[in-house]
Amino acid sequence: MSIIYVLIPIAILFVLIAIGVFFWAVKSEQFSDLNKQGHSILFEDDKEQHKNSND
Amino acid sequence: MSKLCFHCLEPIPKGFNESVIIDDVSQPMCCIGCQAVAQNIVTQGMTDYYKYRTVTAGKVEQLVPEQLQFIKSYDNEDIQDEFIATNQGISEVLLSVEGITCAACAWLIEKQLLSLNSVKRVDVNTSTNRAMIQWDKHTTPLSEIITALAQIGYKAYPFQSDIEAQQKQHVAKAYIRRLGVAGLMTMQVMMFAFAMYFGMFSGMESNFEQYFRWISLALATPVVLYSALPFLTNAINGLKSKQLNMDLPVSLAIFGAYSASCYATFMQVGEVYFESVCMFTFLLLLGKYLEFRARLKASEFTANLQKLLPLTARTLNEQGVEQIIAAKKLKLNDIVLIKAGETIPADGELIAGNTTVDESMMTGEHQPVNKHIGQNVYAGCVNHDGVITIQINKIGQNTLLNQIIRLQHNALTKRPKLVEITDKVAQWFVAALLIFASLTAIGWYQLDPEHAFWITISVLVATCPCALSLAIPTALTCAVATLTQKGILIKQAHVLETLPKLTLFAFDKTGTLTQGKFSLDAVDVIHSDYSKEQVLTIAAQLERYSEHPIATAFLKYDDSLTQVNDVKVHPGQGISAFIAGTHYAIGKSGWFDSEKSNAQASLYANKQLIARFYFKDNIKPDAANLIASLQKQNLSCHMLTGDASDAGARVAKQLQLNSQRSACSPQDKQRAVEQWASQQHIVAMIGDGVNDSPVFASAHLSIAMETGADISKNAADVLLLNSDLASIDHLLKVAKQTQRIIKQNLALSLLYNGSILPLAALGLVAPWMAVIGMSASSIIVICNSLRLLKL
Repeated sequence: MSIIYVLIPIAILFVLIAIGVFFWAVKSEQFSDLNKQGHSILFEDDKEQHKNSND
Repeated sequence: MSKLCFHCLEPIPKGFNESVIIDDVSQPMCCIGCQAVAQNIVTQGMTDYYKYRTVTAGKVEQLVPEQLQFIKSYDNEDIQDEFIATNQGISEVLLSVEGITCAACAWLIEKQLLSLNSVKRVDVNTSTNRAMIQWDKHTTPLSEIITALAQIGYKAYPFQSDIEAQQKQHVAKAYIRRLGVAGLMTMQVMMFAFAMYFGMFSGMESNFEQYFRWISLALATPVVLYSALPFLTNAINGLKSKQLNMDLPVSLAIFGAYSASCYATFMQVGEVYFESVCMFTFLLLLGKYLEFRARLKASEFTANLQKLLPLTARTLNEQGVEQIIAAKKLKLNDIVLIKAGETIPADGELIAGNTTVDESMMTGEHQPVNKHIGQNVYAGCVNHDGVITIQINKIGQNTLLNQIIRLQHNALTKRPKLVEITDKVAQWFVAALLIFASLTAIGWYQLDPEHAFWITISVLVATCPCALSLAIPTALTCAVATLTQKGILIKQAHVLETLPKLTLFAFDKTGTLTQGKFSLDAVDVIHSDYSKEQVLTIAAQLERYSEHPIATAFLKYDDSLTQVNDVKVHPGQGISAFIAGTHYAIGKSGWFDSEKSNAQASLYANKQLIARFYFKDNIKPDAANLIASLQKQNLSCHMLTGDASDAGARVAKQLQLNSQRSACSPQDKQRAVEQWASQQHIVAMIGDGVNDSPVFASAHLSIAMETGADISKNAADVLLLNSDLASIDHLLKVAKQTQRIIKQNLALSLLYNGSILPLAALGLVAPWMAVIGMSASSIIVICNSLRLLKL
């Protein structure tokens, strides 16, 4: 059972990384608009640009 | 008209036959504006927008050369100082964008702007309708970015955020960070707490238990020292100003339990309460954040306002050459040219031309005022139909507009305040708690010095005002959420507490009790060749080209697309045009030497009078119900209007108001409200104009209509998004219910704290009992608050 002396600190390290990522996300405005981010996955970024298709 | 426009989903007018091929299907369009925008979207490969949008786009208006000229003026360096920040060659601007309705819009805008080479970063916020853009100013001027937005159908203008709004953004971010830390850490601490709970029953090696305690200590420390810090600073600030506030018992509980647990860990004695401390902090922060966010949203909504004054002005030099300069650079005695539809940049005297001016921002009345040479015009008013030249005689702080704004600021500092119930409860609760805890400590020290410290701590933990401190914020959060859903935005925290105490309501007239726009009252057909319908249709076709507020009254009669030729606007007179070869004119009575009457508009065919129109400003349909319902609750209703005519008296009589005052200046309104306040009345002011904004700051509570002037929406505590008077009744109902729920919550939590206190003082409460009791009481309080969501 003494393995937990090692495993728990490693788990805590992961928590610290998670907090770091979270702070970064807050800083880069990812939480300022909660409606938009949920939809962003739907859009294809590099859809080929159509030629003037109405001609 | 069977088909709808694919872009804006509005009916397609007869005779318009354009379409755009979107994803290989030909889609019909309703106008050239929509067609151009849809075509642009297709060409840029952004048709995903149509697939995922949840709200339709607005109808697009094409940019006219005048507007392009105006957009160009944003490139002027003098003007840019105000809203562009440049850092290492990269400029940053915040644009307010009209027409953002859903996430698809945000994507469309980001995609469109990023296709411009010099744009580095775009961030669109769909809740505030703003876009932050970072780009290289020297390769692409700002006007090009704004034009690019116009190409996909969005109107944008630079937004200048004030310092207050920026601070609020910082506070919001700090809240999220604190909440994140508290949440993540609480989960971890809980995990170890559960291990220790089970260890208590099934036995656990003491070195593991000690290890878990140290880990919990390490994990709980950031929660207490970072997340819970605002509670401590608030409590200390309160103490400094000699007040016991709600944050004091909260910080006592958090820091007391934390220090006791630390002591227990170091000394390997007693019990640890790390998990309770973390959970308590997290829940409290969550409640506070949700309430803050609701209010932030409301204030952001109103912050998106166009400036009252134009950024640029057209000056004429001695040779009469036009020059566009930044409006803030105007000097006294400058000669300024103002075209029809433009906003006047500074107070001045009219020296050439004549026109009608919309002075509704000063008086609240939408009826335009005629202006002739020698008369004064005021900054912020809109020039209706004529081209005029004015000589500036007041600038900057001295303009009438700025005097009104100053009036409002002065009043704000003197605003009457009511003592908040939270603070009252907190004061005696804290006092009682501290006395009780010290009595326990002293008592037990006499009896059993060994246990005195632990029992005192358990008193503090058992009486931990979890439920008590959740009682008010949860109720407020739920109430604000309900109201927001109904289109009632609460901008100030005190609103829900002030509402039930109100004794007097004061209303503005135009736009608040009445529609604020003209509707046709009567038509008098003079010439027998014409029927009433014919007269109305002709008038409507002419008025389509008019900016005059009366024109909107005819809109619904405009049904066909008859050719109207040679439209001429005659400033101060009216409008004329040829329809099917006949010369028609609509305008003031007495035009073309006809007989004068008191009709507000007359129609002429070949310069012969054929009809007269009479208009009135209708009372809103739910005004009478609201007044009756308020009076039934013993609230007196009064009217303060800037209108000098007898319309005020008529409306007051019809609605059976308790009193009315006509011809009130902004100062008069303020004085009236201050007088009521000095007679121990708690006053609510409901209005919509710029002239109402000073009185808003004097009243205990202010409510603005969405249709009102931007500055009044900004100044008000409550904003009615649907401009519906019935909302006020609902607001009052929710406020009263909230008050009841808060009282129930306080009673419940005090009952719990009161009953556990003697038990804890006698040393009968085990830690796990305290934790269960604490959680149970908190959950009951939260569930009680949730009832408000169902209103």
